[in-house]
Amino acid sequence: MPARIMKWIDHRFPLTNFVKHELTGYPTPRNLSYWWNFGFLAGFVLVLQIATGIFLAMHYKADIALSFDSIQHIMRDVNYGWLLRYMHATGASAFFFVIFVHMARTLYYGSYRAPRELLWWTGQGLLLLLMATAFMGYLLPWGQMSFWGATVITNLFRATPFFGDQVVVWLRGDYTVGDATLTRFFALHYLFPFIICAAVVIHLVALHTVKSSNPSGIDLAAKDNIPFHPYFTAKDLYGLGWFLIIYCIFVFFLPDSLIEPANNIPANPMQTPNHIVPEWYFLPFYAILRSVPDLVGGVLAMGLSVMMFAFMPILDRSRIPGGAHYRPFYRWQFFLFIIDMLVLGYVGYTPPTDSTLLLGQVATLCYFGSFFIIPFVSRMEERWLIKRGLPPAVIELMAGEAAAIERHKQSHEQRKGARL
Amino acid sequence: MSKLLIALLLCATPLAYAHETALTKVAVQTDLPTMERGADTLMNNCHSCHSLKYIKYRDLMKLGISKQKVDGWRGELGLDTPLLAQMSESDALQSFGTAPPDLSLMTKARDGGPDYVYSYLLGYYLNASGVPGNHIFPETKMPDPLGVSGTSDPAQLNSIKDQARDIVSFLNWAADPQQSARLRLGYYVIGYLLLLTFLLYLVKNQIWSRLD
Repeated sequence: MPARIMKWIDHRFPLTNFVKHELTGYPTPRNLSYWWNFGFLAGFVLVLQIATGIFLAMHYKADIALSFDSIQHIMRDVNYGWLLRYMHATGASAFFFVIFVHMARTLYYGSYRAPRELLWWTGQGLLLLLMATAFMGYLLPWGQMSFWGATVITNLFRATPFFGDQVVVWLRGDYTVGDATLTRFFALHYLFPFIICAAVVIHLVALHTVKSSNPSGIDLAAKDNIPFHPYFTAKDLYGLGWFLIIYCIFVFFLPDSLIEPANNIPANPMQTPNHIVPEWYFLPFYAILRSVPDLVGGVLAMGLSVMMFAFMPILDRSRIPGGAHYRPFYRWQFFLFIIDMLVLGYVGYTPPTDSTLLLGQVATLCYFGSFFIIPFVSRMEERWLIKRGLPPAVIELMAGEAAAIERHKQSHEQRKGARL
Repeated sequence: MSKLLIALLLCATPLAYAHETALTKVAVQTDLPTMERGADTLMNNCHSCHSLKYIKYRDLMKLGISKQKVDGWRGELGLDTPLLAQMSESDALQSFGTAPPDLSLMTKARDGGPDYVYSYLLGYYLNASGVPGNHIFPETKMPDPLGVSGTSDPAQLNSIKDQARDIVSFLNWAADPQQSARLRLGYYVIGYLLLLTFLLYLVKNQIWSRLD
């Protein structure tokens, strides 16, 4: 009976074929490390955010007179409302954490290189969508930091040439951040996750066309690929277990560590907080914004700092195969870049003083500098490696893989010949 | 790489509690007698001006305070009435020049949390010319509620410190009445997840062993 049902379905919809092609038969490099778990984790957090968000929306009121109270209603009166809200608030941080690791992995192993440029660029689009969604969601509790954060960021659009002021009013729906802003941010905060879902599908289509990269950074022969299911479903689920443990420690024991104290004060347009800080995941970009004294320059620098990642496939001119494992200069650059991000995060968090301003400006220069020198460093590194000889490990790996691919081609052609 | 990335997440946490003036640490209590003493002090000393609008009288009974006592506090008001201040906001504005803030979320709404409120309550002093001030919040309009500035007797000072701790403990509950339920559930969830993760580890090893 089930076989007959499957036959009936397959006649009308390629279900069996789809599962075979994308799951049970989808070839995945067997040497993927745990750093490759984070794409799956990002998908999981997306589902978690949508699920908790829909239930929160059932109790939330998008109205400046009611929203702060409705959050307290969720926290105190709704059954397990506190759990939903803490899961959602912590989930936003978890989402960025997972995405940052996912991006760091891509940068470290050079997964953005040909033929995965479009895969990387769809990911860049997803990052922008995620940032917009998180930013709009942060306004909804209508606390002091919600209000002032939204005020500061929407105000940046004044930098738009010719009609900057009108753009700001158009975004806010009012001359200041107010009820019109709150209702539209709520509507869009509900809409964007579904756009993200669609973008994730595009990201996955691109992934399944070019397939996963792997820690060696070299395209593997068929013999080194294993089906995604059951091998990587099992590995991803095990990784998910660890993720959930850390996530739940924050949800149950440290939920307020990720919420600014000032956001427990209702928004007050008449009283500016001493120090307006964004959420931790925006801190490095916020530090870059503040490091440029000029508004237009600061906005451009901040926008560019997020978009710099998209240029990686163009900037990285090295023809040396393999990830950072086989590229000593690039590897150093990667770790210095991570440290620079941490410094920028610190600068973004602390109130601006002369010394942190200078530190921020130096770190901003290092941030952009580390992208701009990549073409030169990668070229130089290439020459250096060719002169000294590639690492024996990578030569051996490449020879082995090339031979395997050649054998595969031959046997394929033999079979084709036999059929003819 | 992993260490750096985890540090990125963790470094945000302790920084969130940085404060200009050094705060005195308070050992927040979660036992009923302490919280009840805190509620008593608060209802007698603070509630005339300060509201706790997210707490209803019924919530106090749920906490475990006796019906008799709650009835004494609420008088004619219904059990589901929020604890609004006895003084109207306009009267308070006239008397103090500022509206006394709602206390429901006070221990969460300041950098330093409960330590801030505790240090603030004990932060009153008289300067050389006898004018009162507060170390933690110099702009405050509230007169010294526990009388700490005029006290030099150590025994009396200790009792004021206890009172402040009791109030902070009660306010800590008021800011997050679900906290104890959350912590209790948390231990079960983490326990369950550890077991689940261990089993998933075995499953993963079992499946991957087919490859060799």
